[in-house]
Amino acid sequence: MKITAIAGITFKEAKRDRILYLLFFFAAVAIIASRVLAILTVGDRVKIIKDVGLASISIFGVLMAVLIGTSLVYKEIDKKTIFTLLSKPLLRAEFILGKFLGLVLTLFVMTAGMSLIFLAIVYLHTFRIEWTMLVAIAYIFLELVLITAVAILFSSFSTPILSSIFSLSFYLIGHLSWGLELLIKKMRAGAVRALAQFLYLFLPDLENFNFKTEVVHGLPIPAGIYLYSLLYGICYTAFILALAILVFRRRDFI
Amino acid sequence: MIRKASPARGSAAFFLVLFLLAISATFMALKARTDTIARKRVPGASIIYIPSGKFLRYATFGYRALAADLIYLWAIQYYSTPTIDDRFHYLDHIFAIIGDLDPTYTDPYETGALIATAEAGDTGLAFKILDNGAAKNPGQWLFPFEAGHIAMMNLKNYDLAKDYFKKCMDLPGAPEFTGRLYANALYKKGDIETSWETWLAIYKTAPDERTKKIASNHLYQVKSAMDTDRLKEAVRMFKARYGRFPGDLGDLVRTRILNGLPKDLDGQDYVYDPKTGNVKAATTPWKR
Amino acid sequence: MADAIRIENLKKSFRLGFIPKTKEILKGISLSVKEGEIFGYLGPNGAGKTTTIKCLLGLIFPDAGTIEIFGQPHLSARARQVLGFLPENPYFYDYLTATEFLAFYADLFGLGRDVREERIGRLLRLVGLERAADLRLRKFSRGMLQRVGLAQALINDPKLVILDEPLGGMDPLGRKEIRDIIVRFKQEGKTVFFTSHILQDIEMICDHVAIIVGGRIVKQGALQDLVSEKVLFTEVTVMGVSSEAFQGLGENVSVQGGRVLLKVFEEKRVDDVLAVVRERKGKVISLSPRTETLEDIFVETVTGK
Repeated sequence: MKITAIAGITFKEAKRDRILYLLFFFAAVAIIASRVLAILTVGDRVKIIKDVGLASISIFGVLMAVLIGTSLVYKEIDKKTIFTLLSKPLLRAEFILGKFLGLVLTLFVMTAGMSLIFLAIVYLHTFRIEWTMLVAIAYIFLELVLITAVAILFSSFSTPILSSIFSLSFYLIGHLSWGLELLIKKMRAGAVRALAQFLYLFLPDLENFNFKTEVVHGLPIPAGIYLYSLLYGICYTAFILALAILVFRRRDFI
Repeated sequence: MIRKASPARGSAAFFLVLFLLAISATFMALKARTDTIARKRVPGASIIYIPSGKFLRYATFGYRALAADLIYLWAIQYYSTPTIDDRFHYLDHIFAIIGDLDPTYTDPYETGALIATAEAGDTGLAFKILDNGAAKNPGQWLFPFEAGHIAMMNLKNYDLAKDYFKKCMDLPGAPEFTGRLYANALYKKGDIETSWETWLAIYKTAPDERTKKIASNHLYQVKSAMDTDRLKEAVRMFKARYGRFPGDLGDLVRTRILNGLPKDLDGQDYVYDPKTGNVKAATTPWKR
Repeated sequence: MADAIRIENLKKSFRLGFIPKTKEILKGISLSVKEGEIFGYLGPNGAGKTTTIKCLLGLIFPDAGTIEIFGQPHLSARARQVLGFLPENPYFYDYLTATEFLAFYADLFGLGRDVREERIGRLLRLVGLERAADLRLRKFSRGMLQRVGLAQALINDPKLVILDEPLGGMDPLGRKEIRDIIVRFKQEGKTVFFTSHILQDIEMICDHVAIIVGGRIVKQGALQDLVSEKVLFTEVTVMGVSSEAFQGLGENVSVQGGRVLLKVFEEKRVDDVLAVVRERKGKVISLSPRTETLEDIFVETVTGK
């Protein structure tokens, strides 16, 4: 299938990017350093290891997704490798989806690597394999998938620097949804509030994928949230990809 | 620009837009659904891992004041969320961090103390916060002022209150009635002597008639307290000696328990009730 | 025979710049390429050659006009299946080897494993790169990249091959090889559409030619029709006769060691020159009529119009 062909070379190309390994290195350092940090805290030491570890996987994962994703499509356009590609019987949609899958695969490998180091460090402390960590990591990965789609969307029409800024803004907005909720509670009913409520539902809520706190503090997670968060992630990603395809379809490559 | 798009292309775009609308409606509905699922939220809980604000100071790359503001804003939201259990656990720690980041920002200390007193009902926490503020801002009268009030009103610990007010009195910009608060605390504490001296000082240095009158009333009150205490003590001695209350205050002089009868500040005698042995002032201080 | 390419009234403008200013690049291009012929597309820089090609390939969407490839709408999958394209100054994924590179494009056409292997081998031999099959593209020279790009254009055994400046930057030997390959395509029944600045090459191999200037086709037709057989002048090299004998008959170009080179402008004067030589018992070393070349036509068209 053509999409898999594109995904294949995207993966080959992405894994050559040195930024990935640099970020991976920093993530590993952070996770291992958390062990040292744990000695300084008072109380339950494992909590800080888990907290720092999950946060590292999340932050460095997002950086990887943004930095690689925003240059991916742009490079093809800039270096004109896209000319030979798009003159083949390949739908532009297939091109976008192929790039997306290739990058997701790359991130999967990177996340798996970071997770292994993380679980190893946790194991060294607790002598147990904490399966609940994997749940948090799985949803972190889902968030990364969405961010990847966003990075590709911006990369298909903007320069890498602007795309990175937009993508990171998306990430920030996604985590400040609760702020908008608080703001709405204090607003008086009216057109402005209705608009704000619409925005609140429309803008991304990346906290839906954030199970770090629950998992680290051992709090119970209500059953329904797993399914709904997963569906939310899938739907939003599909939305962003469809938008990217729409933008990319009628683009002139001068 | 007129585009000659073939029918196939046009319909593909149409279906894409349709898909976009449908999927966005779906995820919006899903978000509404996830909102209804209550999750144990401890937003920003990881802040407790910061051992002290000192580290944060370096981490914020010079945007310390901004970081202080943001944490303060967060803290207000956090503490006004009643569903978070045990949220006052790290109250002083968090406000200490804000203090470390921006020591001269007075609002957080005040608010922190307020939250501690009013919401958490923990005055010890409030004092911790205010003391922290005072330590970082030794010239700021506001902190001992507030602490003194908490001691007076909430704890009725007049000893503590007097200490705070004394400290506050000497600071630049302190309200001019702080001295009176100090004197009053002394009085309430029972330290009549110092209270008298303080009020006397205030009376002598009073800038206007009103202050003089207030000081005078307090002096009256203090003297009355001093005097009535002496008189009551004398009455008890009489009772112990003779087994009954004296008929009037003159008895105390005749039996040489007292050398003379004190008069109140206005020169009036004190009122004695032979049935109960109670002594009190002739006038209420503020009705003079 | 159907037209391989049929473009009718193609128009394209671009909005460029921060304050968008519309620039009309193609002002109504019409041309047709017959199946099985080699078609040369010429024009000065910025005339719109590459834009036309990009419209053909669906990289740019025209504002107006129709484009058909073998009678199919140019964007249809069927049209794409039968064409191959080599862009100007190609850049490819430089971390792939030549074989991997061609295998990727083969995958895009959905070629089966056996077909793929056989075809990659054959194409690499065709373009003379069989020894570089496992070399990474990063290490290729410019000429080698051009050749592997050509191989990529042929991966689906297309009926129509579109080449943008295929001979650019190649040494004379390389140019000859590519020319030979293009001629071979014609022999195999393929249609070739290419742009070039090197007019001698076009003159050598093209059947049809179109010249585009300022977004318009200013000359189009069979090469032999455009380039008339008209003789501009005849160059005659003579030995044994002094140059004064040819006074009034032609222009004296040079006299060297007994040889006189004359430029004779009128046809009948050539006979006169020959008569003089016979009279003086001299010898004609060479006689070459200089006809109008494509370059002459090109310069005249571009500067004249």
